[in-house]
Amino acid sequence: MGTLDYIWLGILAVFQGPELFSIFGLPISVTLVMILFGFLTGIAVGATPGLAGPIAMAIALPILISIFGYTPDALLPVMGFLIGVMKGATIGGAVPAILFNTPGTPDAYMTTLDGYPMTQKGQARKALRVAHFASASGDTFSDIVLIICAPFLALLVEAYLDFPEKTALLILSLSFIGAVIGGSPAKGVLSTGLGLLAVYIGTGEDFYPRMSMGSDQLNQGFPIATSVLGVLIIGAVFKEMTDLWHQRRSSGTRPSFQDEGNQRLSRAEIGRLLPFVGRSALIGTAIGALPGIGSTLAATLGYTVGRARHARTKAEGAPDFGDGAPEGIAATEAANSSVSGANLIPVLSLGIPGNAAAVFLILAAESIGGFNPGPSVFRFTQDVVNPELVIAFGLFTAMFIANALNWTIGGLFMRSTGIMVRIPKHILLPTVLLLTLTAIYVQEARIEAIWFALGFGALGYVMRLLAISPLPFVIAFILGGKLEESARQAFAATGGDAWFLFGSPISILFIAASVAIILFSARRKKQEL
Amino acid sequence: MRHSNGNLILGAATIAFAILVIFIWIPLDTQTGLIEKVRRQVTIGDALAPTIAASFLAIGGLMLVLFERNADDQPKVSPQDVLFGLALIASIIISILVMRYAGPATVGLWNLLSGSEAEYRLLRDTAPWKYIGFLLGGTVMITMLVSLVEGRLRVKTLMIAFISVSVMAAIYDLPFDDLLLPPNGDV
Repeated sequence: MGTLDYIWLGILAVFQGPELFSIFGLPISVTLVMILFGFLTGIAVGATPGLAGPIAMAIALPILISIFGYTPDALLPVMGFLIGVMKGATIGGAVPAILFNTPGTPDAYMTTLDGYPMTQKGQARKALRVAHFASASGDTFSDIVLIICAPFLALLVEAYLDFPEKTALLILSLSFIGAVIGGSPAKGVLSTGLGLLAVYIGTGEDFYPRMSMGSDQLNQGFPIATSVLGVLIIGAVFKEMTDLWHQRRSSGTRPSFQDEGNQRLSRAEIGRLLPFVGRSALIGTAIGALPGIGSTLAATLGYTVGRARHARTKAEGAPDFGDGAPEGIAATEAANSSVSGANLIPVLSLGIPGNAAAVFLILAAESIGGFNPGPSVFRFTQDVVNPELVIAFGLFTAMFIANALNWTIGGLFMRSTGIMVRIPKHILLPTVLLLTLTAIYVQEARIEAIWFALGFGALGYVMRLLAISPLPFVIAFILGGKLEESARQAFAATGGDAWFLFGSPISILFIAASVAIILFSARRKKQEL
Repeated sequence: MRHSNGNLILGAATIAFAILVIFIWIPLDTQTGLIEKVRRQVTIGDALAPTIAASFLAIGGLMLVLFERNADDQPKVSPQDVLFGLALIASIIISILVMRYAGPATVGLWNLLSGSEAEYRLLRDTAPWKYIGFLLGGTVMITMLVSLVEGRLRVKTLMIAFISVSVMAAIYDLPFDDLLLPPNGDV
């Protein structure tokens, strides 16, 4: 089995999977349909302020698992749907940002700066076309980088890193995520600590489940769905509802603007946008490849770099950034969209999730079984087929299918979702909350799961009130078990050497980098004051 | 907010919690220590991983105290936010209790009126009994939460809540035989 054989098997797994129906004798696989459904759902939730990709993923996951079951055959349809949602939500977020000055997702905030002024000038549909073109370009570029980089990174990890180095790499990842997510490195590290502590309760290797306080409810630990959905989704719903309660604003009537002039994008206009799209795609991909740094930062950086270039190169009379420049939309949307593909580089090559969408892909893989994202996936075995590698190439294929959908029908569907902003948020949020609790219950089938989720939701709410990012908590919760297992194996492999983390130059480098990144970010924060 | 001592308080509380975890919770509630010797073989004990977790907490707390106590982006937690959060959580707890006990209570009432001896546990996968808890508890939950935000209770909200919960029950229950709506996995 060569590399090309594996790529071909991955493509076939998507196109020749279980058939759902056929068109003129041509079989249409269920995976293809799920990618399409996911993509359209993603655009719709992205276009709805208050909803976002992760919420749709959280609610859909138990339903999908019930439909497809716990067999490896379920992996591609379920993960294909999630990939579709991830990609759709990115472009959907730009719709209310442009049409109503309300970002559908946080990373679309910078899109409002030029998108809404264009709408006010009667150029709404053109602005949406610019956002779609930039978003689809950035996304495609990012996927190409993912497909080239992930296997090589995984092979490097497998070739050069043993258990001690892998343990050190996990510590480095957690330190990095803690130090860079959110505005405060201290709070990021605190959030990481809380996540690790939560995952270690009720687990361990001893007969007595550690730190369970003798409680029957805690002796199996917290189910992953309760902590992830509790902190990430329920906490966010609580915070959004508090903000709504403060605002108490009625939806009121929104101003409407008539379209004026040609709304299409000419070749010359696309040519003018390309340098902005290219720069932002590079920035977004580089940022996305690092776990934990989100698309909001990528959008801000892309916009800032684009603004500097626009100030130097713009034609006389053309609008500045902030006054309705199409280049501003392109710079933002290319940057935030190119994060999504690159964010899967650490997931697939190292098993380390970098953002909320990646967390749900890992959750799906863990729930279904048969696919453990990490360096071991990319074993190009010659004599027997490595099914995980086929799934990995199937996922890459799914990403390109989602891209093809984005280029073909994405723009059209995106331009029709403006109506989603009219859904009243204060009714939508409690519905999302009940859906999330129900999703948790149908997975766990015990009422304690709801109490745990509610407890984690309260924690997520308090964390948000205290400006502590919940993402390091969730990532630490997911990686905590892996960190302990890897440390136990390293300890055993080195014959009980307590200094196993300092036994090789690579692990010393990783540990030194962990300490350096925390100290550097803490000092930088102090200097900012 | 400059001169706020929010980060200082949070940092100090985190350090205190980390100390509590490392020196009291872990030693009292964990079977093995940091490192264990079993039959001449040294292995990692169950206490090590939570100790590292608590160390992350302690480092985060120390960083807050040493480097970020004068940060100008310290959040100001208003008592109103805390109270509203508590009201949200209390509403959900009430709704879940309604959800948990509405079905068995209805069956009890039915038994009382008809003289039969039905058990909810045996009816939990039978319509209409299996929907009672979810529909009632879910409607109460959405109505209470929406009313909290709106500051008033409207019949329209109740109707919207009931319709939303009915659609939800249909999505999760009708197509799947193996899924149990809350609270039917417990009763």
